[in-house]
Amino acid sequence: MPLAIPGDYPFEENMAIFAALLRAAGLPLGTAELLDALKALGHIDIGGRDTFKAALQATLVKSYRDLDIFEEIFEQHFVPPKTRIQQQQEMEQQREQRKARLESAADELSFKGEPLDLSSEEMLLYSHLPQPDRESLRRFVQETEAAEKERRPLRPLLETVVRGQLRYWYSQKSRAIAAGGTAGGGCGTAGKEERRLCESDMQALEQADLPAARALINQLSQQLARRLLRRRQRSASRGALDFRPTVRASMRYGGRPFRLKYRRRHRSRLQLLFIGDLSASMERYSSFVLQFIYGLQAAILNLELFSFADALEYLTPFLKEQAGPEQLLERVLLRGESWGGGTNIGAALGRLNRQYRQLLTSRTVVILVSDTRTINLEAALVELQRLKERVRRVIWLNPLPPEQWSLHRSVITCGELVEMWPCNTIARLEEAVAGRLFATMKFYEQGAVKR
Amino acid sequence: MGVNLAQLQQRFAAAGYIVEQGAVLTVYLALKLQKPLLIEGAPGVGKTEMGKVLAEVLQTELIRLQCYEGLDETKALYEWNYQRQLLRIQIGLGSEGPPVEEEDLFSLTYLLERPLLKAIRSPHRVVLLIDEVDKTDPEFEAFLFEVLSDFQVSIPELGTLEAKNIPVVVLTSNNERELSDGLKRRCLYLYFEFPDVARETQIIRTRVPQVGERFAREIARVIAQLRGLEEMRKKPSIAETLDWTQALVALGKKRIDGLLVNDTLNLLLKNRQDQLLFHRKIGREGIDRLLRNPVNGEGKLQCP
Repeated sequence: MPLAIPGDYPFEENMAIFAALLRAAGLPLGTAELLDALKALGHIDIGGRDTFKAALQATLVKSYRDLDIFEEIFEQHFVPPKTRIQQQQEMEQQREQRKARLESAADELSFKGEPLDLSSEEMLLYSHLPQPDRESLRRFVQETEAAEKERRPLRPLLETVVRGQLRYWYSQKSRAIAAGGTAGGGCGTAGKEERRLCESDMQALEQADLPAARALINQLSQQLARRLLRRRQRSASRGALDFRPTVRASMRYGGRPFRLKYRRRHRSRLQLLFIGDLSASMERYSSFVLQFIYGLQAAILNLELFSFADALEYLTPFLKEQAGPEQLLERVLLRGESWGGGTNIGAALGRLNRQYRQLLTSRTVVILVSDTRTINLEAALVELQRLKERVRRVIWLNPLPPEQWSLHRSVITCGELVEMWPCNTIARLEEAVAGRLFATMKFYEQGAVKR
Repeated sequence: MGVNLAQLQQRFAAAGYIVEQGAVLTVYLALKLQKPLLIEGAPGVGKTEMGKVLAEVLQTELIRLQCYEGLDETKALYEWNYQRQLLRIQIGLGSEGPPVEEEDLFSLTYLLERPLLKAIRSPHRVVLLIDEVDKTDPEFEAFLFEVLSDFQVSIPELGTLEAKNIPVVVLTSNNERELSDGLKRRCLYLYFEFPDVARETQIIRTRVPQVGERFAREIARVIAQLRGLEEMRKKPSIAETLDWTQALVALGKKRIDGLLVNDTLNLLLKNRQDQLLFHRKIGREGIDRLLRNPVNGEGKLQCP
């Protein structure tokens, strides 16, 4: 039988379960889509598994990114009865194992013969710890039990400590899994792979991931460039009627307002100025950001590019040579004494403020890419303030994960001075540049984009 | 338009449009459920062609709305013919007949039908191709899904115009931006990938019949090799494959080699960086190596 319906549920109910599984996996699916799917099935021969699957895909999936999720859930849900029975047996086994693990954890983590008040997730987490860690925690519980003298109740304190310890291990484990996941690579479908690259910290990407990550950045920046270069046409929503020119134009028609004239917005040319930190800690991020910028330069009229570590370097001439992003990076690496050195944001901004003063006008938007780690933070703040006063806007793209920002004084103080956006993953970089920067600046209207 | 699935498949093949079974089924369901069909995919995979071929297959008229940023109702739906109304008033003032009434001016005579309204008011069921919908503004998209859900248009001066026949709507998108959930919900969804070597060989042979099986396969393998370069800015589209094939036929070629690819590269890769990338990553030697090896190169990159 090509199509096996799991369980003993009626067909519609089973379809509703399938839809719920897709929904739980993040597909935006409503009742309307489910009804469409059921209607569609009425028009085809559902005996054919491929036809059945294609009909469900056409009606339930609305984005290419969801195709792999659909594929996975479909394959798991609609399986031959034999496989289903096998799956049920495996699930039963897993349930038994889980129960045994919980019982054993409760035994091991007992205080004065009574298990500690921990949730089943915490108990399971304990049971999955490596033997030495389990041993150490058990010893701690036993020692606390032995140390409880007189009538001081240590149980609540002990429970808090154990819970905290488990939470710490859990966070360590999640980090290790995330790192291990990136090392695995190449096992998922294109959609999954793309998502993984987008959401991984750029620094955590393995060497093997870099070509794909670069290709992805290339694709994203070109998409943005295309969007900016998009053909535009004047429309009726162009602005209010301009009365004087309309009257003037109507003179040739004997005063009849035959040709209407509309107001035009005043356009000033905006200029983008990127400054990338190329110090050792920033090398990976900056190279990715450089690549993003490279993709954009086809669409931005006035783009100026600088790099710095201890000294400032003017990179715009390289951009104008039309070499590829890799060549641009190679050249910067070969030329730049500043690449991979110690970071001095203050000195770099100071030089920018003094030597490239002509580029810093009220039309300039500065994008600074750095993790804020610098020698002489105070000098950097002074120069940053100067820069801010001179240009229209300074946006700081910070590759540190946002949850760590509050731990660094430099991030806090710089963040108080200028807008700071995260860019530690490709997704965040895209959101910062494509989403927030271009959406808020309305670049096209300001005339910064080539026409 | 009462075609069944098998007929639809036959007609697509007869029209020279080679497409997967799953895609035909989706089109069939869109026709049966009277739902718009949203096709996404990279540029040049045949999304727009689907709309055109569908009109041919259904033997009906194709009405095309090309989207761009700034597109609004006056360009997509309707506009009053202001100049004509003005002339009518002038003529009315000069003559001694009865004065021009407002109702006379806001009638169908003075209405300029744009593609959406034209498709809705068409006396027979037409194919409405809304091309590159991702290029419109979100406001227009919201307006669009209102029209597509009810297939009726309210014109304040005239009232509501309902569709005489619900058109077959095909929307295409290059994924330049995410479309709204509202629009997607109203559509059936189809995603086009670049064809694999076997299917592209079939497309080449269908569209350029004078090409032999072996030659077509070599062309498809070279194209798959080029598309395999991830960093490529603009991968060769199916249309470019066909143009290239025709150019090779015009040159009297029967086989492909690295030198020929090198000399005709301008037909396939249309920007300098992609050409440099080809020379760096594949080159003449890479093509020769690929074609010497009968097994490798089925879309997989074999870089030197």
